[in-house]
Amino acid sequence: MEIIDKIKTNKSIDNQTEIKKICLDKLQSSPLPNPRSEQWRLSNKSKLSNFLDYSVNKNNSKIDIPYPKNSQSTIRLIIGENCQINLIEKNYSIQQLSEDELQKYIKEQISFFNQNENWSDLLNLSLSCQNNILGLKINGSKIPPIEIFSHASSNSLNAKTLIIFLEKNCNVELLQVNLGEDNSSLSQATFFCLEKNSSLNHGVVSYGVNKSNLLNSLNVIQQKNSEYNLGSLHFKFNYARFEIRIKQSEGNAKTNIKGMQITKKDEQISTYTKIDFDGPNGFLDQINKSLADDKSHAIFEGSIIVPKIAQKTDASQLSRNLLLSNLAQIDTKPQLEIIADDVKCKHGATISQLNEEELFYMRTRGITLKEASKLQLSSYFQEIISFIPVSKDRWDLLDKLLNEN
Amino acid sequence: MQSKMKESDPILEVKNLSASTDNLPILKGVSLTVFPGEIHAIMGRNGCGKSTFSKIIAGHPSYNITNGDIKFLGENINSLEPEERSQSGIFLGFQYPIEIPGVSNLEFLRVSTNARRKFLNKEELDTFDFEELVKEKLEIVKMDQAFLSRSVNQGFSGGEKKRNEILQMALLEPKIAILDETDSGLDIDALRIVASGIKRISNSQTGIILITHYQRLLDEIKPNYVHVMSDGQIIKTGESDLALELEKKGYEWTDNFIKET
Repeated sequence: MEIIDKIKTNKSIDNQTEIKKICLDKLQSSPLPNPRSEQWRLSNKSKLSNFLDYSVNKNNSKIDIPYPKNSQSTIRLIIGENCQINLIEKNYSIQQLSEDELQKYIKEQISFFNQNENWSDLLNLSLSCQNNILGLKINGSKIPPIEIFSHASSNSLNAKTLIIFLEKNCNVELLQVNLGEDNSSLSQATFFCLEKNSSLNHGVVSYGVNKSNLLNSLNVIQQKNSEYNLGSLHFKFNYARFEIRIKQSEGNAKTNIKGMQITKKDEQISTYTKIDFDGPNGFLDQINKSLADDKSHAIFEGSIIVPKIAQKTDASQLSRNLLLSNLAQIDTKPQLEIIADDVKCKHGATISQLNEEELFYMRTRGITLKEASKLQLSSYFQEIISFIPVSKDRWDLLDKLLNEN
Repeated sequence: MQSKMKESDPILEVKNLSASTDNLPILKGVSLTVFPGEIHAIMGRNGCGKSTFSKIIAGHPSYNITNGDIKFLGENINSLEPEERSQSGIFLGFQYPIEIPGVSNLEFLRVSTNARRKFLNKEELDTFDFEELVKEKLEIVKMDQAFLSRSVNQGFSGGEKKRNEILQMALLEPKIAILDETDSGLDIDALRIVASGIKRISNSQTGIILITHYQRLLDEIKPNYVHVMSDGQIIKTGESDLALELEKKGYEWTDNFIKET
């Protein structure tokens, strides 16, 4: 693990920024996450080690965009390639954060970081170079859809960071696409701050090819009356972790999450979520689906924290899983930590196989077993796919998934 | 399996059929022959094996045929997959039609119809041509077009589900239809619509097996033969008046036949 050796000796980084120094300092005492901690105990050690085996690449190879732009108005940004944007239109503006704004925000965030819980963020911020950090502040209305791409080049580890401030009363639709090349590791850290009355429809689609690895962390702070909707899909990674941390800082906010991970061969993909309600009247509706085939391993661990201040919280977390092979493994653990006494919270988990009676019904209508399974999976995917803000007519994601399963 | 049969040959010939699930015998030597144009009714107590019989004819993978033959259009179909049986012209109308969330009814019907058409060497239909065909068939079961855009059977009432089954039957144009308690859960009007749909679809070339508990369906569709099933066997066969007698005397009356057997 070349990177860990460099972190230990702190040799690698020239012209270190203050942020990097802080992160490296935090990592130096224990450069790897604690394998016994709740967040990391199921993580495949050799796969994590493989993630860290590549050397850091600050230069970006040309990205192969998987689909054309939906319309001229869509704003497409590629982290590390065309990060320059400064749009001031009649109804809205999208501007880059200044260096000072970025530093201030990240430093504030780091002060709350816990070595184990935020290890992926610390690693990202200690590796991400200035060129690979995109910071935006968005305000106004009638904002065109935004697409942001991150990718990792072959035989290297790329660290990309995205920070977005949504100012008061603004509504944004944003699709984030993370692509992994052959034998690559992508560290993607994303930070959103949703100010009062703002709303974000956020899609995250991450997929790789042979031996792609991904550490994807997402940190969201929601102020009063903000709404955050997340639709996510992760598939085709040798090893991937999606860490979601959302804080409703004053309560009175809405969060909807629909996520799915698909694992095949010997892949391991996991989703960790932590939703903090730091005020009353918060709302959460979360569903996470896993589909595991062959000898693969899918993991979901979710926690909802409802302290005393978070009265009248209404939160629901459901984990639904499909196990398609006798050798595949699914671990799921939705959890609630409730101190407040006037709340409505529920959680649940199911693990099942394809429904035999549904398959038989379709087969009695002349549909082959393969087609019937495909239709059933399609219906399983549909709930998540339809929640991702993605131009369906241009990128038939569902078909792509089904053809690969 | 294309038909090279004469009109007088049976569509379905079940001989001494025994079947089990999880080593538990369910059918114990059932024989039944259906000729073109015939309507058969199978009656019997709950759990006597009627629904199992229909599922085995349709090829349910949970049941093992331990003895006997099922011949369809002269060929043994014991080892055919459910989809092959359907494509060749066997239709099973479910007692409890399955809901398939997320799969549009229109697309489901189109894929099924095209599977059957492909078998019959007919041209497969694209979405536009299929919509024309399905509109025509919807009229048979008095269904609204809105049903097509919903997920298969999801949120349908009991009556709507049964009408959807008959719509599928109309589209697939089977050689033989086995309708498992199609009348259960239907009000009088829905029963009439379903019965009239079945009558419109059936003809002198097709066979129908109605599985039912009640005379009211047989008032609408008069069967040529009525079979009484008990403990995995057909214990009595008669003409349509057998159903009337059964309605009057109840299944206790049939217990005497078992004793005689």
